[in-house]
Amino acid sequence: MSIDVELQQAATKYKNKQKVKDRFISAIIGVFAIIWVFPIVWTVWTSLRPYKDVRANGVFSIPKTLNLDNYTQAISRMELPLYFWNSAAITIPAVFLTLFFGSLIAFVVSRYSFKWNVSLLLLFTAGNLLPAQLVFIPVFKMYITLGKALGIPRILYDSHWGVVLIHVAFQMGFATFVLSSYMKTVPKEISESAMVDGASVFVHYSKVMLPLLRPALASLGVLMTTWIYNDFFWALVLMSTDSKRPITSALGRLQGEFVTDYNLLAAGATIAALPTLIVFFVLRKQFVSGLTLGSTKG
Amino acid sequence: MSDTEKGISRRSVLKGTAVGGIGLAAGGSLLAGCGDKATGALAYGARSVDAGPTAQNEALIAAYTAKTKNEVKYNATESNAFQNNLSQYLQGTPDDTFEWMAGYRMQFFAEQGLLADLTGVWDAVGDQYSESYKIASTGLDGKQYFVPKSWYPWGLHFRKSMFADLGLNADNVTNWDEYLKMLDGMKKKGLVGFAAGDKGGWEAMGTFDILNARINGYQFHVDLLAGREKWTDAKVTEVFTYWSQLIPYMNPNVLDLEWDGAMQLLLQRKAGSMLMGSWFGGNFKEQSEADYADLSIIPFPEINPEHGRDTIDAPIDGWCVAANGTNNDGGADFLKFAGDMEGVNATLAATDKDGKLIPMTSANSGQDTASYDPFQKEQLAVMAEAKYITQFLDRDTRPDFAGPVVGPAIQSWFKNPKDVAKIQETLQSQWEALPPLA
Repeated sequence: MSIDVELQQAATKYKNKQKVKDRFISAIIGVFAIIWVFPIVWTVWTSLRPYKDVRANGVFSIPKTLNLDNYTQAISRMELPLYFWNSAAITIPAVFLTLFFGSLIAFVVSRYSFKWNVSLLLLFTAGNLLPAQLVFIPVFKMYITLGKALGIPRILYDSHWGVVLIHVAFQMGFATFVLSSYMKTVPKEISESAMVDGASVFVHYSKVMLPLLRPALASLGVLMTTWIYNDFFWALVLMSTDSKRPITSALGRLQGEFVTDYNLLAAGATIAALPTLIVFFVLRKQFVSGLTLGSTKG
Repeated sequence: MSDTEKGISRRSVLKGTAVGGIGLAAGGSLLAGCGDKATGALAYGARSVDAGPTAQNEALIAAYTAKTKNEVKYNATESNAFQNNLSQYLQGTPDDTFEWMAGYRMQFFAEQGLLADLTGVWDAVGDQYSESYKIASTGLDGKQYFVPKSWYPWGLHFRKSMFADLGLNADNVTNWDEYLKMLDGMKKKGLVGFAAGDKGGWEAMGTFDILNARINGYQFHVDLLAGREKWTDAKVTEVFTYWSQLIPYMNPNVLDLEWDGAMQLLLQRKAGSMLMGSWFGGNFKEQSEADYADLSIIPFPEINPEHGRDTIDAPIDGWCVAANGTNNDGGADFLKFAGDMEGVNATLAATDKDGKLIPMTSANSGQDTASYDPFQKEQLAVMAEAKYITQFLDRDTRPDFAGPVVGPAIQSWFKNPKDVAKIQETLQSQWEALPPLA
């Protein structure tokens, strides 16, 4: 009986200790969460205040009015349907093409051994290291020259496809890297038995590997969507017609030449951030499992 | 750019058209014979998405289309994005006519053969503009590449009611000592004397411009910006010496505020004066008519009696025609209309969403100054006093020098005002390290 009591006491003591520890950890996590969430909350808070009020009383003043006027104004000034359509016309093909090509290369370099497969993987991964600002002039010149040579000046420059292509080229390195490391965790025996069963290379890729890649593709898809959707740079330098540019450029429409109405801009930014959030929540399950899957070899 | 595309005179173009004009289409300016007859559809590149300028452009374009039946495609880009991307824009598939700035900023691109010659437009409407506008529109090769639309002056802005409360008279602030005395009085009352913001990096360039022009004169200023004088010159040191006398009267958070933060200080009556371009008056007007009516401008005080108040930063905005556009003819024809009083009147007739006229100080001497509001009349007076007009530092020197070098240099000076010598050396060595212009 005394042993029971002792055990129980030890258990409570341990529990209490654990509780303190938990609370401590929660507090730290809480602090970080607040730091993390603060900019978002501040953006939303800003978007609800009229600029006139801020201009007259300062940013930290207590607001006299809070309303959704900035949102209605942002929606009408941003020409949302047009720019959302442009974003979709760039992001959707770019993401699908990146995942398609990325998975093809990853499949070859991780499933087949030939002389150059490691170098090939390195080449694609190294492509990630080049900053966009470094290569944009050559890319721009290339697009212009090609347009002139073909007599269709807008074939790549100032067209959605030109921007899609550059995104595919830029993101493929990362996609290849992630997908090939994920594929390496898929047991070789699966591939071997597929080959023994007489699967051709394409069947092996499309019927065997691709279904197994689903979580990785989903998480990569979310990341790619966010990155490509958020891009402003390529759309700026590779396009001259503003009505073809994506939503990130429409945000610029809320910014005056001299006056920047940050409250209106905050409302616009909140609206522009919604699609990435939607994509994330739709693919959330796959995203989380995709992040951890492939991290351990097994 | 091939050399054959540069420096095409009207006559050689005429000859060129006679033999088919092949190969000139990309860069030639086929101005000859453009009058009221249809020159075809053209594209218009706007450098602003703001409501005011957009309404003005729409009014102008509507008037042009009504007159000539030429369709105009409107392509508006936010001004910073447009500006940063202009080089690519002009080399790619630019709109035929686009909004741009006079002076060095225009010459820079004209030198590269990216702008079409507008001498023909000037032949037609040139007599409606004073000589200084023509000079600002002329490239280094002596041809015109620009048609001016409007201007605004840089000067000391203040609130009339504040001056009245403080017992000050703006007419008595004509020289440096008087100005410092006034700032001192404001400081004693707990006010910021000289509202300043330089987070954007360009705002303080206006202060440098005016101090340099007041202390060392117009000629030294333009020579310095064109690289004919050295940044390490003792005269430049002098500018910073005078500037540092203003620091005690500035708001302490200069580098944390953009221009609009400084403007808010004036609007909220926390600051007594601000050196800025008069364009910001639109913000006061938006706040309330009373605030706008309270706004006033005087020229920056005299420092060196030799130069008096003879120079002013008064940037001119207007249009160019892109050489790589598809319809150079149409672009020039449009500008002939826009530059003429007929086009100016169409622009001036534009109204905002409340049906009020949008204030604009036109470059065309035909604009009736009687229609100016009091603030505009003051701007005109400030402008009239100046003998020399400069465009603003980032328009008067190489774009790859102003933004990336001068801006940060001035910011670092605000951080450590004693470091003048080092900053001057940096400026000079960076200027020398610039690649030669193509």
